[in-house]
Parts: sequence; C-alpha cells; structure tokens
Amino acid sequence: MDVVEARVASNVRVAAGVFLLKLEGKYSAAPGQFYMVRAWARDPLLSRPLSVFDRDENGISFLYGVRGRGTELLSRLSPGDAVGLTGPLGNGWPQRAGRIALVGGGLGIAPLYYAAKILRNADVYLGFADAPYLVDEFARVAARVLVSSETGAGGTEGVVTDIFRPDGYDACYACGPLPMLAALDRVCRRAEVPLHVSLEARMACGVGACLGCAVRTVHGYARVCRDGPVFPASEVIWDG
Amino acid sequence: MGDMTVVVGGLRLKNPVIAAAGTFGFGAEYGEIYDPARLGAVCTKGLTLRPRDGNPPPRLHETACGLLNSIGLQNPGIDAFIREELPRMKEQGITVIANVWGDSPAEYEQAVARLCDSPVDAIELNVSCPNVSQGGPVGEDARRTARVVRRARRACTVPLWVKLPPAGGIAVARAAQEEGADAVSTVNTFRGMAIDIETGRPVFANVVAGLSGPAIKPIALRIVYELAGALTIPVVGIGGISDWRDALEFIMAGAHAVQVGTANFVDPLAAVRIVAGLERYMDEKGIGNWEVIRGSAQR
Repeated sequence: MDVVEARVASNVRVAAGVFLLKLEGKYSAAPGQFYMVRAWARDPLLSRPLSVFDRDENGISFLYGVRGRGTELLSRLSPGDAVGLTGPLGNGWPQRAGRIALVGGGLGIAPLYYAAKILRNADVYLGFADAPYLVDEFARVAARVLVSSETGAGGTEGVVTDIFRPDGYDACYACGPLPMLAALDRVCRRAEVPLHVSLEARMACGVGACLGCAVRTVHGYARVCRDGPVFPASEVIWDG
Repeated sequence: MGDMTVVVGGLRLKNPVIAAAGTFGFGAEYGEIYDPARLGAVCTKGLTLRPRDGNPPPRLHETACGLLNSIGLQNPGIDAFIREELPRMKEQGITVIANVWGDSPAEYEQAVARLCDSPVDAIELNVSCPNVSQGGPVGEDARRTARVVRRARRACTVPLWVKLPPAGGIAVARAAQEEGADAVSTVNTFRGMAIDIETGRPVFANVVAGLSGPAIKPIALRIVYELAGALTIPVVGIGGISDWRDALEFIMAGAHAVQVGTANFVDPLAAVRIVAGLERYMDEKGIGNWEVIRGSAQR
C-alpha cells in the first residue's frame, strides 16, 4: 500500500455523468482492488474509494459516476492535474480457474474490466439503466459480452439478471446495486455456482482502521475496505 | 536539535503526537504505510471487557469539513486485545495507551484491572463515547465521572488518563483530577446528527453520532485552553488537528501532547507528517523543549 501523488493523463466522459479517469505512472493492483482517491484539500474531507477499472505499465484508470461533491470535483480534472492515491486496497476477486461469468450493473461494471482482461476468456454481462457505454472495450478483452438496458437502448430490454443464466459457469463475479446482487445470489445458489460480489460502502480510512464501512455477514460485521470489497455472496446478509 | 520528548501524566513519550482512539485500529493497518513507533504513542480502538459488535450501518456521514461517526465501540474485547494485538504492538516498540469503556463503574474497574496485568503503557478511560450511552456520556456529569475515575484509579497501576467529551466543562475535568487522574485528554467527538431529506429520518439508527474533523478544531482548542488554565494535571489536546500548525496551536493553548484522529483518514501519513513538522519547527525556531512554548497563549 502506497500513498502517492499521481498526474491525470485523461478524464473522459463516457456517458451522462460517467467518467473514466486515467492517471500516469506505474501502480500495482489486482483485479477487484481499489484506491482511495482525492483531488482536493479538506472539502470534502474524505477521499473517495474507486475500483480499479484498468491498469498497465503506463497508468491506472478509474470509472466513476458523478454522485456528489467529491465525484463532481473529480469530473473537472484535466490532464496534468494532481490526484492523491492511497492503495491498492482490499482483497480483489478470487483467482479461480474455469469458466467465469462477470456480471455488472451500472457503475458496477467498474471492477470487471481489469478482471476480464486478466481472465481472458470470461463472459461478461453488462446491465445499464439507459444507453450502454464501454461495451466495445469489454468486447476486446472478453470471450462474449451480453448487454441489457432498462430502456432497451443498445441492448436487450430489461435488467442484467434477465439476460444472465448461471448454468455452465464455474463461478460468477458481480458488482452492482444490492437488489441486483441479492437476485443473482438466489439464481446462483439454485444453480450451485459460487458467486462473489464486490460491495460498495461509505468509507473513511479505506485501510481497515476506522470500522466505518461495516457490512453484516454470517461471521458478524466485516469491513468492506479490508475484509472485502469482494465477499462470497453466501456470507452476505442482504437485509442486514 | 530540540528535545521532542514530553512526559504526560507519568508517561514518557518520544514526541507529543499520539494516534487517537478509534482512528488507528491497533496500529496494524497504518503499520503497512509507516512504523507507528515513530509516533509518541498509539491509543487503541476503544476496548470493553467483552467483545462488542458495534452499531448497524450506516456508521459514517460526511459533513462540511467534518465527519459524523456511529461505530459504537466495535472491538474484540480486552482479552483478545491482550492476546492478539498487544504483543505485536509492543514488539514493534509502540507506546500503547489502552482506551477503555465500561457500562458501569464496576466494569471500568474490572477492565482497568485486567489491562494493568498486561504490558500496556497507560490507560485512557473513555467516559465520552457519544455512540453507546443512554442519556449522554458519563463524562458530561461530574459526579458520574468521579465515581468511574475513583473505581478505575483503585485498580490502576499505570498512568491513568481520562478522555473527556466536549460538553463536560471544567467541573468534570476537576472531578477527574481530584479522583487521581494523571492527565485528561479532550475533546472526544461532539454529539451531532444528520437527517436524510429523502426519508425525513435521521441518518443514524442511534440518531446522535460523533462529529470530528477540522470543523470542530476552534471549539476543541478553546476547551483545551480553558482546561489547561484550570487544571494542575496535563491536558492532551484533541479535535480536528490536521497538520503541525494545528498541533502547535494546541500546545500553545497549554496541551502537553496532541492526538490525531480523523486526519489519519484524510491523509494516512498525517500523524507522522505532524511529527516531522513539529521537529522542523523546533529546529527553525531554536526551541530546546516544549516548555518554552507550552501554554504561551495562557500568559
């Protein structure tokens, strides 16, 4: 884990309110890990936890949606601007062999791209509220990409759980809204396919010290930042 | 080079910068970024006799230059701390201040007794957690505080600090002093709240949560100034300290040492950066020891 200052290479709007931030430099990360990111002094106070979208020898990138003041400030970054990074943090996706399905809903697609790139032969299911984005990028690194859209724009009309069938997969990795993950859990349980979910939570420290990002599991409260963000779905208490 | 060491209520520290309870775990996480033994001391996460689950999420809410938390003293319990965390901390050379909470004077006494059988360097009685007590923390009432400190003092063979809430005032601090506290540390978080305007309901299940961060610094500084002027035992200043300049203000207000809490979340290196900043300040000003400037604002 390092605390460093990085430079913005690019900060591109990929959809309404969705940006892809690329930073220059060599940063380590395993698929599914995240960094605490900030580009301001004390207002807002805390850094923002962002999943690693992609990394290579030249840089690291983060996909984020503009939700509040922090992400709004991130969206205004220009090439050359300074960004504070702490990471890589969290456990990341498990390393499993076999046929893996990656399922993302909305911004939940963020931690799946790097996983698809490393896995090479994963099937990717992407669900969007409206017009899809970054589908071509996923298509370049995945075996297959299936897309749903609630408005029907650019994909099968519906939600991602409408187009995903777990049969034949050795494992499924998913990220997205809690109702989506809970629905996937039911589907995967029935098919006896292990499901791992990446959870999101408000975080203060990001490193496991403050216990602010607690999530209820069958083992008691777990820290999303340290014990996760990836959990076996069978351990998560969805109505917790 | 100036002498960074300071003796606070019977405890000798290599420098006056302490990681505040609840913001630094048991030092293992930040220990991956820097050696916590570089700090004057580390206050542990608030400990209780038995393990505690803590409060249901959400536990955090960001405010303007501040942070509301409702962690609720989630901790593994004193025995697990002594068995699993303390040996590693001592091995690393960390000066360990065990922060302790009890839900009765008897429980404080038992908890303190247990810790005094371990190699902790000092105990900080937490009578100020805003997230667990009914009807406000003990430390807002002088008589209740006196009872707890008396029982704890009886069991305590190491330096005993009492961590006070911002609303206790001088009467509570004097009560702690009269019952034999070696130092007081203040302020714990302010009791605040937030409301979700979509639901019209409080954000936190407990309604009230603890406010920390730069937003509280001027108020915390005023409280430290008042207590340092009124007490004969040392005061450890806490509240929104983000950099070495903030730390210096608390020392000039009369604090013997400072605790850095929420700033660790803002910058994982905040506490060691403050140590370095204070060192530089001493050198540049040619200050030999902290007594030269401590309480300068009181004079």
